[in-house]
Amino acid sequence: MNAIEVKNLSYAYDSQKNALQGVSFNVEKGSYTTIIGHNGSGKSTLAKLIVGLLEPKSGEIYIEGLKMEEKNLPQIRNKIGIVFQNPDNQFIGSTVRDDIAFGLENHKVPTSQMDSIIEQYATLVRMQDFLNSEPEHLSGGQKQRVAIAGVLAMKPDIIVFDEATSMLDPAGKEELKRMIRSFHGNEDLTIISITHDIEEACFSDECIVLNEGKIVLEGKPEVVFEKADLMRKIGLDIPFSYYVKNLFKARGIKVHGDTAEEIAEELWQSHSKN
Amino acid sequence: MSNLVFGKYIPIDSVLHRCDPRAKIVSLFLLLIAIFLPSGWYGFALIAAFLLIGLMIAKLRISMVLKAFKPMLFMMAFLLIINIFSVKTGDLWFSWKFINIYSDAVLNTLYIVVRLLLMVTLTTLLTATTKPLELTLGLEQLMKPLAKLHVPTHEIAMMISIALRFIPTIIEETERIMNAQKSRGVDFDEGSLKEKISAILSLIVPLFSVAFQRADDLANAMEARGYVPGAERTRYKELKYHNRDHVLRILSLLVLAGVIVLAFVI
Amino acid sequence: MAITFKKLNHTYSPDMPYSFHALKDIDLEIEEKKITAIIGHTGSGKSTLVQHMNALLLPTSGEVEVAGFSVTADKKPKNLKQLRQKVGLVFQFSEYQLFEETILKDVSFGPKNFGVSEEEAVKRARAALKVVGLDASYEERSPLDLSGGQKRRVAIAGILAMDPEIIVLDEPTAGLDPHGSREMIKLFSALNKEQGKTIILISHDNEIVYRYADNTVILNKGEVSYSGPTKELFENDELVEKFNLVLPQLLELKSQLQKKGFSLKKHYDDLEALVKDVAKEVKR
Repeated sequence: MNAIEVKNLSYAYDSQKNALQGVSFNVEKGSYTTIIGHNGSGKSTLAKLIVGLLEPKSGEIYIEGLKMEEKNLPQIRNKIGIVFQNPDNQFIGSTVRDDIAFGLENHKVPTSQMDSIIEQYATLVRMQDFLNSEPEHLSGGQKQRVAIAGVLAMKPDIIVFDEATSMLDPAGKEELKRMIRSFHGNEDLTIISITHDIEEACFSDECIVLNEGKIVLEGKPEVVFEKADLMRKIGLDIPFSYYVKNLFKARGIKVHGDTAEEIAEELWQSHSKN
Repeated sequence: MSNLVFGKYIPIDSVLHRCDPRAKIVSLFLLLIAIFLPSGWYGFALIAAFLLIGLMIAKLRISMVLKAFKPMLFMMAFLLIINIFSVKTGDLWFSWKFINIYSDAVLNTLYIVVRLLLMVTLTTLLTATTKPLELTLGLEQLMKPLAKLHVPTHEIAMMISIALRFIPTIIEETERIMNAQKSRGVDFDEGSLKEKISAILSLIVPLFSVAFQRADDLANAMEARGYVPGAERTRYKELKYHNRDHVLRILSLLVLAGVIVLAFVI
Repeated sequence: MAITFKKLNHTYSPDMPYSFHALKDIDLEIEEKKITAIIGHTGSGKSTLVQHMNALLLPTSGEVEVAGFSVTADKKPKNLKQLRQKVGLVFQFSEYQLFEETILKDVSFGPKNFGVSEEEAVKRARAALKVVGLDASYEERSPLDLSGGQKRRVAIAGILAMDPEIIVLDEPTAGLDPHGSREMIKLFSALNKEQGKTIILISHDNEIVYRYADNTVILNKGEVSYSGPTKELFENDELVEKFNLVLPQLLELKSQLQKKGFSLKKHYDDLEALVKDVAKEVKR
């Protein structure tokens, strides 16, 4: 079954050309999908549409089989959560504890159960030692982890990351990306990450490339990143490992690895064989 | 900014810190009434004694209260001068050329000073021992009866708590924008009126545009996490009265009763 | 030297119980007409350091000499404005400092503050907009209608129009997409090469640092732990290990290949050259 089905979706902000034009795709349940595109390609608009913060101008969205429309919205909110880009602007509570509680309160979780849920999810994102900390004493990366805990505590079927790592420093970025990857493989959680971080896309099952509001490429990372020229043309990069692969391929040597270490090992193996 | 004492929460642990915010707010009101009753010096002494014990229990220093009182000293001096020239009753205490100081002028001023000092002590006791968020929670609970009159008490409390949450962020942002504009040659301290206006605009406009962006983001984040204004929600923090809260309220009530007796009976 | 720090210390809220010693005995020289990168973890004092370069912060003790001005603990420099004109500081997320009704007005705001005539300010603003790649059609538009990346270009044009000798940038590529980052960094490289500007760059991105910065300064907990040529830092295994640096991908690949046993040259200009050598060895 598909976690998300998007059919011929279009959206336009007032007075501007279409932000999205006839976008269709499916996201398989339990998969990890990255949606990549440069700033202004329509990817954040898409994120807001699939979590029901914007209303499509035309086209349809189905979340776990439920059609996105006013009457289904409360149910859909139970199924899908989103982590936004700006760590500060989504921290609603005055402490970590209160912030995780915010969503639980909205979903009418009984007060007596809240403490154990809060502790469970704070531990999951390794923020259990900061439960009483105020946001101004946390780093950007820590705030984003709290946001993740706040979403996961509501036990969604789908979690959307809307450029969640783009405002963080390298250490914060790495930690968050590792965390996102660690959620992958859980059949009950579908992950969608909207990003311009090409290296992150390497680790996903499926990539959707957006440009000027349209899908220009779609498929497994290895298929998408073969099209280096097209990617560059629309202002995106391909991961470094794919540059390496493509250059070696041009010289008649095949490598498959994703990290420098894997690639070096492969090359050394074929060196030793000759 | 960080030197501001008045209204600041002091994060230490004391019985008073642990008291229920509702009990503290109610006590504040009872004692405010007591301060405003014409109970005379004995009444003030009773209230002062009670507040001093409060300060001790809350582990706060009197110097803190005096610091908060300092900005009002100028106003008090001004009041004294006006009283000296306008109040001409009581005994003549001092006379030099055209200046005649009567006892009532001094006593009246002192009366007001003492009242103000008591009020400052009282509010400091509340704000220093109660987190802003608890304060809003307490107010919300106390205002609950108003919800029946369709006053959106919960929304008001939510607004206040979000505003409080963002104060440090906004201070930081103000500093950053000021530094950026200083780097572009803006002088926030000196300059002609025209330059001053342009300096202020260069700070205010960016602050507002960031604030609108933030409000938009925040609204999205709240909606995505299932917040619907006016909808029923459960509450994570539930206030519960303990024995200490009853003690606090009863003691405050007794002080008020004592003051009433002093003011009207004796 | 463009900037010289002498035994500079900075402590925030010195008399308070929560005082914080952000910079410790900084002795540092920053070369003229070069690109210098400042790297270090969040909280290492990078932003505090650069705010001394145009006297937004004054040292608690010690001295900083900038473009012929001296800034010390007890006195604000007399010609503060002249100093700030010579050192243009672009803050992180600088797009939030725009406020005028039109882009042209906003960009000419800086020069006008420094006493440049209206006419000259507009002329400079037009030139600066061109440098950052925004054509004349943008001049009369509101800065608030632009995309994030364009806004940042306008903010940078606003600093360029002041015609500073030294341009200091606090993470100019944060939050931009790969294309935007590349364009941004090329702009600074061109300003350095073509106009001889001294560029100082705080960056978290070692790819950019390795590729564009002549010199690199590492700050760690308020102290300078390295200051010298960028290549000598990243191509020295001992230093890389000592400072726990994230290697640029080209160097990472090279180092992994060497670990396996490939014999390679000390320096490669680009990936293609490296691949060529490795391919030769593999096929041999």
